Amino acid sequence: MNIIMKVILAIYNFFVGDIVILIGVTATMLILALINKVDGLEPLRDGMGAILIVGVLATLVLSEARGIATSERSASIR
Amino acid sequence: MLDAMQWAIFTAAFLAAGVEWVEAFTLVLAASVSTNRRSAIVGALLALAVLALLIVTLGVALVTLVPLEVLRFVIGFLLLLFGLKWLKDAIQRYTGLKRKRDEEAVFLSNVDTAPARPSPEESIDSFGVLLAFKGVLLEGLEGAFVAISFAGGGMGALAAASLGVASAAVVVVTVGTFVQAPLRRIPENTLKFVVGILLTAYGTFWAGESYGIEWPLADLALVLLGLGYLFASAILITTIRNRTTEVVTEPVP
Repeated sequence: MNIIMKVILAIYNFFVGDIVILIGVTATMLILALINKVDGLEPLRDGMGAILIVGVLATLVLSEARGIATSERSASIR
Repeated sequence: MLDAMQWAIFTAAFLAAGVEWVEAFTLVLAASVSTNRRSAIVGALLALAVLALLIVTLGVALVTLVPLEVLRFVIGFLLLLFGLKWLKDAIQRYTGLKRKRDEEAVFLSNVDTAPARPSPEESIDSFGVLLAFKGVLLEGLEGAFVAISFAGGGMGALAAASLGVASAAVVVVTVGTFVQAPLRRIPENTLKFVVGILLTAYGTFWAGESYGIEWPLADLALVLLGLGYLFASAILITTIRNRTTEVVTEPVP
């Protein structure tokens, strides 16, 4: 692995270390950006706070679910 | 005198940095035992100087040069990533999916990899300096990031966070000097859980503000967000524990 990849991986592991969290938070922020910018989604703007909270909680739940699935897979192999 | 918001920021930074300083202390202690105290202290002080410089220069630069909306968006995003990482790991340790950190084991493994004999007390041993420097720098980076991230709240918030980080260092060093052993009794996972909740709440709050969300009850919304995430995390922990118990007690067909 070259030095640039190692640096990117180090930064990734420092800030997040979990691809589900990275994708979940990024997706939530993108959805909010769309709601903020697209005129057709204006009715949803009042609920942006709730959407953000739901997005964060969903990310946490999915990340933990992945952890459980990995743990159960390791247990069944043993 | 700090206002309520700044006290909350001070507390978050104090707890986040405190956990990391405990881990750094273990490595400094290992360096001290395996070489000598002088080398360990030199390494630790060098790392602290680097961290202080980082917080001051980067933090002040962010507050003064970056527009507030951009800063809150980026900081909010990073705090959400960082906070969820801490929260996820703490929940996994509570539920047994991940092993808790054992400061004693870390201390012993670092002493084992050290040179065969300690160096004379008056000399500066490069191994000891490097071990202490690396430990304090790497562990302290997370605390430094938390302090810098509160630049999203302005100069007052940055100052409160920096004070929290520095206070935590003073407390850990003071306790550690008396104990003279790895600090095993600190409830590290509980602190990481609380910090995860706080950082996720702040990340949500500032990310939301960067999109123009007007949180009801203004700054009090932070408390409500924290309590909400705490409640959700408690449910998650209970659910995971019940599920992992079911997996263990299921009869083999």
